[in-house]
Amino acid sequence: MSVQPQSVSRDFPGAVEAASDAEAWIVSQSGALGLGADAEFAISLCVEELFLNAVSHGRANRASISIATEPDGVRVEFVDDGAPFDPTAAPAKRIDGRTDDFAIGGYGAGLIRKFSRRMFYRRDDGRNRLVLEFDAAGPQSRRPV
Amino acid sequence: MDMTVIEAGDEITHIVLDGRFDIAGAQEVDARFGALAQSPKGLVVDLTKVSFLASLGMRTLMLTAKTLIRSGGEMAVCGADENVEKVLRSTGFDEIVDLYPDFASAAAALKVKLAPFARRDK
Repeated sequence: MSVQPQSVSRDFPGAVEAASDAEAWIVSQSGALGLGADAEFAISLCVEELFLNAVSHGRANRASISIATEPDGVRVEFVDDGAPFDPTAAPAKRIDGRTDDFAIGGYGAGLIRKFSRRMFYRRDDGRNRLVLEFDAAGPQSRRPV
Repeated sequence: MDMTVIEAGDEITHIVLDGRFDIAGAQEVDARFGALAQSPKGLVVDLTKVSFLASLGMRTLMLTAKTLIRSGGEMAVCGADENVEKVLRSTGFDEIVDLYPDFASAAAALKVKLAPFARRDK
């Protein structure tokens, strides 16, 4: 069965509460787009990281999310008007060894890399534009609620 | 996200989470985790019913682990599904907190780790 390309997009204000709304929106759209559980998990995780970073560190006022299903995967574009930040160039931090002296945050770039297939960044007209590609496991992989 | 705290005996507390450990979920349980981390004993965080884990959820787990380890306690995580475990391992959280398939194996391991301190305190 071939997957018919579909896309959805939505704008959000730059606030932590809106990041939570964005997560709920992704979950609600995943079923309609026929995304599998793994794709929904990966997209939700990456968007939470990007949204919180844009709001907390980039002081973004607006963010938009677009999700498009394509024949060979899912394409997500995250755009924000915060300070320049290129996740493709950020180090993939990881706790190294048993220690109680580890950072509580800063693991987002590594997680995004681990859960997405590819990512592309550009700074465009005062905005960060990040395109993420994911494998699209079919809806048959959705777990029972 | 629902959070149930069960005193399982032998200084082990069993924390059962149910739902999405997303922004809203983390905000719901953060204060309770903060309080539990103050008592130096064994915490088993049961993620069997957790379907999602990301940035703020990891922050809650890391803060709890750091506080607990520094005060002489031990923490373990059990029941993580494939994606949740991938998050835990990708951040290196499994370097500081051991992962187990179920509560029984996690609790047994923590009892062994805590036993020398229990004998010393008597």
